[in-house]
Amino acid sequence: MPRPELSDQRIAGSFRDPSGFLFNRGGVLYRQVNRVFGDHYATLISSGLYKHLRESGLMISHEEVDLAPADSSRAYKIIKPALVPFISYPYEWCFSQLKDAALATLEIQKIAIEFGMSLKDASSYNIQFLSYQPILIDTLSFEKYKEGRPWVAYRQFCQHFLAPLALMCHTDIRLSQLLRVHIDGIPLDLASILLPIRTRFSFSLLTHIHIHARSQARYADKGGKARDAHLTRMGMLGLIDSLQSAVRKLNWKPAGTEWAEYYSETNYSERAASHKESIVREFLSVIKPNCIWDLGANTGRYSRVPAHMGISTLSFDVDPAAVERNYIECRRHRETSILPLVVDLTNPSPAIGWHHAERRSLLERGPADAVLALALIHHLAISNNVPLPILAEFFRDMTRTLIIEFVPKTDSQVQRLLASREDIFTDYSENDFLEAFGRFFRIDQSVPIDDSKRSLHLCIRKADA
Amino acid sequence: MKYGTGLRAAVMLSAIAVLLLPGVAAAYIDPGTGSYILQMVLGGLLGGLFAIKVYWKKITAFFRKKSLEKKVDAETRAE
Repeated sequence: MPRPELSDQRIAGSFRDPSGFLFNRGGVLYRQVNRVFGDHYATLISSGLYKHLRESGLMISHEEVDLAPADSSRAYKIIKPALVPFISYPYEWCFSQLKDAALATLEIQKIAIEFGMSLKDASSYNIQFLSYQPILIDTLSFEKYKEGRPWVAYRQFCQHFLAPLALMCHTDIRLSQLLRVHIDGIPLDLASILLPIRTRFSFSLLTHIHIHARSQARYADKGGKARDAHLTRMGMLGLIDSLQSAVRKLNWKPAGTEWAEYYSETNYSERAASHKESIVREFLSVIKPNCIWDLGANTGRYSRVPAHMGISTLSFDVDPAAVERNYIECRRHRETSILPLVVDLTNPSPAIGWHHAERRSLLERGPADAVLALALIHHLAISNNVPLPILAEFFRDMTRTLIIEFVPKTDSQVQRLLASREDIFTDYSENDFLEAFGRFFRIDQSVPIDDSKRSLHLCIRKADA
Repeated sequence: MKYGTGLRAAVMLSAIAVLLLPGVAAAYIDPGTGSYILQMVLGGLLGGLFAIKVYWKKITAFFRKKSLEKKVDAETRAE
């Protein structure tokens, strides 16, 4: 019998569920299905649920492979799931991404009930985005539905989806970041405290968050009562319908945040903007990356340059309003090459969870083939006081090729940043920039942008950097 | 479909009554128990509302179909 290879690496985020686990062998991702889940897996396939969800674009496809298991004592089958190009996390999603992921989860649960199965977890980490489409990536999330049994994932759904959406909508959009701290979703008692009084007059939020939180506290030490709980099939469908209605009613429109109106306030003329686009296009045709990270992308105007060239593009911005607009645009035009995400580069997503490894940091999910850093450097160097040599190191760790815009002190946007503070940035000039980045990168091309004081640089990381 | 105003008011009042009940100190033993109990309590109501919604949709779809048939008949006769 073939033996598992010593080089198998278990994926840290998949240890909780005894149904199976993900592992990496020779750079390929596999999932072991354990015998304990065998019966449920067989039902998933034989009931037609897997086929239906896969064809609806709601669930990741996989193929069964004849491979030595990573843990043969417990193995039932080994499957090879289709790859998701970039794993993102709920605290990196804008409001509508989280909302779409929530609705996808509920739709999957509704369909699963029709096929005689039920979701046994409703973690937001089980959903990933293939461009604008949310998709379930955990094949082992289903169990056979037993009529009369309540939904085991109800609490998790409320903590992972409903509570953060309600907080983002009714309290403050930035509260999505509570998901970074609470890896199993926002505790409902905390959500209940933070939500305004008026949410108690919404039937769905009153029941699924406020009363739910009270019910959790009330029965916290009465575990035995859970065994007596009963929910009819109609009650289950009513619960899902009520949650769908609750999620659909939550809406948030971006307005009044720092960057939402940035493009209307930028100092670029249309001539400068289109020249900048053409230089970026030219640089991209030289380096030909498969994927690119656009840092500080705002609403994604320049992310669309690589995206329209068929390059898989991650469009990061710190502002949830800008990312929301970007995502809505992607969804409206069914753009398949862009994934907008909320990331604060001055405090990027860290590694979190058990052993600092359940959810990976942004840099651990790299390096990117290429990075686009347009109109960004002055914000990092001047607003955030990061010296140019340290910035160059950051980009060296992130990518092999870099397209970066230098914005000099004479630029009106930099003048704006300096208007309310002392200019302590004596080492911020184009020469300082070229010297700092020249330590790690070969500056392949430098092109001044027409009708502006700015310049674009194509940098290739040195082999010994 | 919108839920009836009277029914909604009754639900709100019973919900407020539940909220006013004294809460038990949060000893974190089985965080799922309260969720299970709540589903049991809500199940009858939400299931009932869902059933009404489904049947209401069927009734309105039936009448929509009837009125569409009449319209098509009238148009056919006019031709």
